[in-house]
Amino acid sequence: MWGKNVVIVMGCILLAATVNAKEHPGKEQILKNGYHGPKTCEECHPGKAKEFLGTVHWKHASKVDHVDNLDPNEEHGMKNRIYTMCNGNDIVNNLKEVPPNALGKTKFTGCNSCHPGDHASDVGSTGAAAEQAIDCLICHSLKYDFSKRKAVKDSSGKVVMTQDRSTEAAANIGRPTIKNCMACHEAAGGGAMIKRGFSMAKGAEVHVTKGIICVDCHQVKNHKFPTGRDPNNWAHDGIYMTCVGECHTIKPHTDADYNRHTDKIACQSCHIPKTGGAFSKDFTKWEKQGNGFYEPSTLKREVNETAPVYAWYNLTVSNTPKFIGPKGSRTDGKSKIYPFKVFQGKAYYNKKDGKLMSMDFAPPIANGDSLAGVASAAKILGIKDYEPVPGWQTIYFGSNHQVTPKNKALSCANCHALNGVLNFKELGYSVKEVERLTNPELYFEKLLKLQQENE
Amino acid sequence: MKKILSIVIVLALTAFASLAVVTNASAEEFKMTGTISKIELAADGKAATVVLKDTKSEASVTVIVSDELTLDKFKDKRIVEGDEIRTKYDSEGGKNTSKMFKKTAGC
Repeated sequence: MWGKNVVIVMGCILLAATVNAKEHPGKEQILKNGYHGPKTCEECHPGKAKEFLGTVHWKHASKVDHVDNLDPNEEHGMKNRIYTMCNGNDIVNNLKEVPPNALGKTKFTGCNSCHPGDHASDVGSTGAAAEQAIDCLICHSLKYDFSKRKAVKDSSGKVVMTQDRSTEAAANIGRPTIKNCMACHEAAGGGAMIKRGFSMAKGAEVHVTKGIICVDCHQVKNHKFPTGRDPNNWAHDGIYMTCVGECHTIKPHTDADYNRHTDKIACQSCHIPKTGGAFSKDFTKWEKQGNGFYEPSTLKREVNETAPVYAWYNLTVSNTPKFIGPKGSRTDGKSKIYPFKVFQGKAYYNKKDGKLMSMDFAPPIANGDSLAGVASAAKILGIKDYEPVPGWQTIYFGSNHQVTPKNKALSCANCHALNGVLNFKELGYSVKEVERLTNPELYFEKLLKLQQENE
Repeated sequence: MKKILSIVIVLALTAFASLAVVTNASAEEFKMTGTISKIELAADGKAATVVLKDTKSEASVTVIVSDELTLDKFKDKRIVEGDEIRTKYDSEGGKNTSKMFKKTAGC
């Protein structure tokens, strides 16, 4: 089994290295004719621009059928959802120039600043203009000049995003690298590695250390990305992924005792023992920064400082104004124990209907006035009858990245010792079962033997 | 003679250890938010000298950055002159070595 796994991993690395090393055909043509946006790409890849407009990366939303209290006929995602990691969304916190702060400074900001269009063709737009607005190179160029991608006002005063459409960027294209993905994904939620709090650097993530990149696991089909099942990853392209597949089997360990666990324990529970990032935010209290702008007050940790909580998860999601997290139980026959980063965020609720309200960040960024942000968002959404009252929401984020090397993964005693990471009682085990599950008889001989081998 | 030599060696080692401790203790950690006014990458690409203007005091502070991830961001211009940065650095012997170097805001 071990040998088979090594061959599979080596195969993945070799494949990744081969694909990376291979030059994309058509370079000479691009160098000769220059790059003219998606229409240049479409000369060899007809239909791809239109195809991309139908994906979550462009729409920031999709129909969602695994989350409570959502209309299954509507599309949901960062385009329109309201929660307390990002109290704004693409609609209320649309990319704009914020009002001048006390120092007279202003800046551009908005949730949709990472949308791969030009903002004139924005989230979910369709048609010929939208197709030509796609920033293909931000994902596909190995030499993208990120300083060329910025928000500016065009001649009519409309805020647009510029792109690097240089011939050099276009002549150096290929599969998206980790850098291409992380340029947007690491900055979500208010800063570098704030939201999910994991690093995709060599040494931090065992797959990356081995030369595996994001799209080796998230194997894209027609621009549709398979995703995992983070309870906060609502929008999806209709395809899901797990660890089990090309690289790992359902019984991946050489140790039969470990393999017995895989029916009930998700891989992540043992192999992702820590994440980090923000664990609490208060959107009712904005802190003044040295530059005169304000940011929501945030408690955060480094990427490897937060131990997860563990819960049964059947891949459906509880979604109420006060809680977003996994549904599941020990007895439903569908759940496994997964690790989650617990986050608690404070924002305003509408006393009239108990719903969480969203915020336009422009006013509080300029002057710290969070209620002005709520008022602006309410106006954008047409909500007239409201009374904002502060309150807390608890959110469980799935721990799905930053896989640790196997010699640092959790072992028997990490869970089965009395001070282990699993709270068996909370997980639904009886007192008698907890006694059995925390008895050293379960692991003593095995760990002693391992210890002797390592001494 | 041997005894004297031993004592001298022990004293020398003690003095060296004390100095090491003093040197270590003299490295002071600073935090600041500032705007990048200059980025100069070393020829081998393994370090960069960055000049920041402190947003509070407006003083210029020069920081040496050597972590691969940040250097990569300089190279592909995900971090450029004019960007606002939050940094933590150790200052020792007039040299500021970055321990953390991030753009201030995300979205």
